Amino acid sequence: MTAAANTNPGPLGPTDDETVQKELLRFLESRTRTSWLPDTDLFGDGGQSSLFAMELVVHLEKSFGISIRGANLRLENFRTVTVMTAMVRRLQQAAGAQHG
Amino acid sequence: MADPLAIAAATVRDRIGDRAGGWDLAGVLPLPLLRELGAAGVLCAQLPEAFGGLGLSSLQNGELTAATGRLCSSVRSVQTSQGMAAWTVQRFGLPEQQRAWLPDLASGRLAAVGFSETGAGSDLAAMATTVRRSGDELVVDGHKRWMTAARYADLLVVFGRYEDGAAAVLVPADAPGVHVEPVADPMGCRAAGHADVRLDGVRLPAGRLLGGSALPLPLLVTTALAYGRMSVAWGCVGILRACLEAASRHAATREQFGQPIGRHQLVAGHLADLLVAEQVATRVCEHASRCWDAGSAEQVIATVLAKQVASEQAARAAATAVQVLASAGARDGGVAARAYRDAKLMEIIEGSSELCRLLLADHALAVAPRGEEG
Repeated sequence: MTAAANTNPGPLGPTDDETVQKELLRFLESRTRTSWLPDTDLFGDGGQSSLFAMELVVHLEKSFGISIRGANLRLENFRTVTVMTAMVRRLQQAAGAQHG
Repeated sequence: MADPLAIAAATVRDRIGDRAGGWDLAGVLPLPLLRELGAAGVLCAQLPEAFGGLGLSSLQNGELTAATGRLCSSVRSVQTSQGMAAWTVQRFGLPEQQRAWLPDLASGRLAAVGFSETGAGSDLAAMATTVRRSGDELVVDGHKRWMTAARYADLLVVFGRYEDGAAAVLVPADAPGVHVEPVADPMGCRAAGHADVRLDGVRLPAGRLLGGSALPLPLLVTTALAYGRMSVAWGCVGILRACLEAASRHAATREQFGQPIGRHQLVAGHLADLLVAEQVATRVCEHASRCWDAGSAEQVIATVLAKQVASEQAARAAATAVQVLASAGARDGGVAARAYRDAKLMEIIEGSSELCRLLLADHALAVAPRGEEG
């Protein structure tokens, strides 16, 4: 494996807030057949299930080349597109800093 | 370089051989056999090489699981438990926890996973086991039911309530306050080492809490169970293959009314049904495993679908196999008799058929087109 492959940030990253947000809204719309606002509570008003939370974890990890572990898996981090975007950016930056 | 799946499958075939019937009748597996399989890495073969595992893909591990289930569903159940324990540590553990525990799980240390309780089966939200902090330690209290492989396990992965959510903790089976009581005479997977496990004020170092913080119970359980469901589904493919082979071999050789019974149309119909069942289950499992290997979010629902389809096909096919084999398949310990009892339990374990159907229905509703028809 090459050094470049080791630091592969995923198909869409590293990227900016707007790209992450757009991709998340696209995924949510295709998955739920409903359009969402960046600040809609997916698990409260949106009524989404724990299976859906797991789909989000898998999708975020794959799309943005991040690994979501420990306290980051708390539901607060998945509640809205805005907070998911913030988490993705934070984890991407942390991974980037680690790899140099 | 040799194919790791082929080597792993040969190890399983060689170690199990034709002994599954005897283990089923005795209701117990030899511990040295499990240690040997564990040390060869075949009980959690999907664990990445970086953690000491064989690093098989989900599809390869599925084929290995089917190869195991084809011979012995009790060993396959232990494999499911070990794989689910490793997956849980890999998925939720902090890097230092992964480093501390995963290489052991790929080299002979045996593990079991505890979700169910007397009052919390399908309704896992009713889980009463608690984990609480006491100074630098954790204290675990609870009573887990039907923990597969707990009779053999060195390490118990126990799910319980913790702070404002839930957590999984790693409990050594010999810790003071842990009581493992084997379930007497289980109907199926009789040698899988099912046990009820009581935890009375079990004290552990704080580092035994996976991930170090509380998580939502549904997310924690759904994620851990996902591996178990894939494993059970592939194990059912193994049961289906064993049934198809046994019934076809018998129907090709046993003669009545002057010809092999497979030439009688009503029996031939059973053989066709067995082949269809084996193929349907195989394809739905392959699809789910490919979703896992691609990292696709569809893996979540594809896994539930695979478990549901494969377990129902296996339960029905096992009854068909007994019917075709008739008196030749009616002795306990034999392939068809074991399949009949083992497959029935697969419709119950890791999410009953009823629960899986509810999840599938939720999914159908969630992705239903909105608005007017057409």
